[in-house]
Amino acid sequence: MNQKRKIRVLVAKPGLDGHERGAHVVAYGLRDAGFEVIYTGLRQTTEQIVNAAIQEDVDVIGLSILSGAHVSLTRKVLDELKNQKAEDIMVIVGGIVPSEDIRDLKEMGVREVFTAGTPISAISDFIESAIPAD
Amino acid sequence: MAEDNKYLEKIKTQQKEWEENVLQKRVKRFNLKESPTKFYSPLSTIKNDFCEKVGFPGQYPYTSGNNPFDFWRAYAGDAAKMGYRPDWGGAGGVGKYGGFGTAEDYRDYLIRMHSMGRTGGPNMAFDLVTQCGYDSDSPFADGEVGRVGVAIDTFRDFATIYEPYTGALEIDKVPSNFTINAPAAIIIAMYAVLADKRGVPLNKLKGTPQNDILKEFIARGTYIFPPKPSLRLFRDTCVFCTQLMPELNINSMGGYHIREAGASRVQDLAFSMANAAAYLQTGIDGGLAVDLFAPKFTFNAFGGSMEIYPEIAFQRAARRIYARMLKERFHAKNPRSMLIRQPITAHIGCSSTTLQRPLNNLTRAVVGGMAAGMSGGMPGAFPPFDEPMGLGHSQEAVQLQLDATRILIYEAKVSDVNDPWAGSYFMESLTDEIEEQTIAEMEKIENMGGAVAAIENGYMQKAIAKSSYQKQRKIDKQEEFVIGVNCYTGQNEINVNVNREVEASYDPELMKSAEKRQKEKLSRLKRERDNTTVHSLLSTLRQHAKDEAVNLMPDICKCVENDVSLQEICDVFREVFGEFQQAKL
Repeated sequence: MNQKRKIRVLVAKPGLDGHERGAHVVAYGLRDAGFEVIYTGLRQTTEQIVNAAIQEDVDVIGLSILSGAHVSLTRKVLDELKNQKAEDIMVIVGGIVPSEDIRDLKEMGVREVFTAGTPISAISDFIESAIPAD
Repeated sequence: MAEDNKYLEKIKTQQKEWEENVLQKRVKRFNLKESPTKFYSPLSTIKNDFCEKVGFPGQYPYTSGNNPFDFWRAYAGDAAKMGYRPDWGGAGGVGKYGGFGTAEDYRDYLIRMHSMGRTGGPNMAFDLVTQCGYDSDSPFADGEVGRVGVAIDTFRDFATIYEPYTGALEIDKVPSNFTINAPAAIIIAMYAVLADKRGVPLNKLKGTPQNDILKEFIARGTYIFPPKPSLRLFRDTCVFCTQLMPELNINSMGGYHIREAGASRVQDLAFSMANAAAYLQTGIDGGLAVDLFAPKFTFNAFGGSMEIYPEIAFQRAARRIYARMLKERFHAKNPRSMLIRQPITAHIGCSSTTLQRPLNNLTRAVVGGMAAGMSGGMPGAFPPFDEPMGLGHSQEAVQLQLDATRILIYEAKVSDVNDPWAGSYFMESLTDEIEEQTIAEMEKIENMGGAVAAIENGYMQKAIAKSSYQKQRKIDKQEEFVIGVNCYTGQNEINVNVNREVEASYDPELMKSAEKRQKEKLSRLKRERDNTTVHSLLSTLRQHAKDEAVNLMPDICKCVENDVSLQEICDVFREVFGEFQQAKL
């Protein structure tokens, strides 16, 4: 049991949005909480994100979007995951997301949306409870 | 002198007695390790020479302010009688910061604003596609065209926006703002070509391009080329503007974005100053005398926080550090070169606003307005309380914000005294402390080789990322408190709602169709233009880009004039300069 595999998370910034603070904070925070974290950096296409997620064998993709393009970008990531038969990778979203869009994102298949003011522990607790232990 | 010494000895004795008999007694009574508050006496500022460190407002080193009073203060009474209503975010004669959709959409919006009497110059937000040097037909543009600003692919788009700016609103009469950085040279060229075509002399053009690429690498993220060639483009704009458009501001530097990205107060100031030093040196290396161009440098703002005492000290320290840097390091003689020209001073920073119980943001903004008024600026309550709600500012939030500022000016009379903290034992020692820490950090960057080196090696980026995480940890661990977020969130607290009418300035249908319309327009233009000329201009641009000594502005102007697109120009630079790769965190 002490050899338990760490949960792997890809923190990703899709599109051209350059607001990185949230992604940085979440990446550092999840790393400190014991997750294996990979951060893509800025300006990733949705294909690049999904390819990185598969290559890095992650359990979770965390998309950070503050440009208002969250619905279309997230849909593309989910579609690409489906194309690549990798729907088992859980997708969560963080950023400035109005409540009506949160509902739409969840209907699309996003497991949870975290907006401003969320403590890191809320994100790490959510991931731990959502990912079945090996 | 002997009298002075006797006086200080007396204070020292009293301080000792106070600490032992009053302070410690109380600390023990409440079972604390140390006092939660501080007190300052003349002993804190014993080394201070008032004339050297503070000075009178409008005199070197400008600690107490750039001016004895500002323009707005001179006419504050008249403004109240006239009911003058400024545009939100429209300092210095430009209109409200905005932009969306295609150039036609934004033009029609501006025409609507004009019919409402809002005739400030264009204050342009560009979409991310434009900011990152792509055209609307690029795969990178997918879903982003016209979203966070207007899409500009070619000069024709730019000229379309200016169609309603003629006659009394001709571009030699109203200023423009361009919030653009990596492709700033191209937008400045478009402005020059527009003036040329209209027969407006270039030396009459007013306005401000942001043109602050260095902070993009460390905070805002819309960089394209590596720092060195980016500074070469800055040099070319700096020389071009100084020689041909002397009324235009050259840049609008920001510590604001740096702090919002998570930097500490000292990092904000030190990194901004290091960036400013790099721009100043670049202008000098470009062959310009410092006093010829430094007066046209501006700052948009430094970052802010809710901690108003250090924010006031910060503004005082910033003015002093910048003035001294200009005078001592860059040998400026013109006092105007030494001023931090910025539209606002202290403020809370948008990142201090909370999504939780958002009306509290009005209270926060008022606190920031007090700090602004006490730090050499208009006591602006900034931003509107619904800033973090992500749907545009409502008319109600803007009204409350405007009224809060008016109450601070006219009822509380916050701006009737200049630098009210001057000479305060506490504020002077805090100002010194921030200055010392900032200078130490600036020296650290200088020893690395300056701002460019500290960006190339990732130092500034890592420092900001770490600082933002430390701030979040403090909030998570309740070492810092944010009302309604990590404390006072119980069932007895209620959420106070206010009606919000969001101004429907941007038609959502137009936003949706912008990408398609913009692409059609661009593809038509690319078919119809003289493509032989386009290829030959791009090839000359490529040749000249390879030669560091050449100023590229005349070539860029020719490209722009002949309908070469923004991405086509940027692609040549990508090929010659390469693209910036961020170091891993």
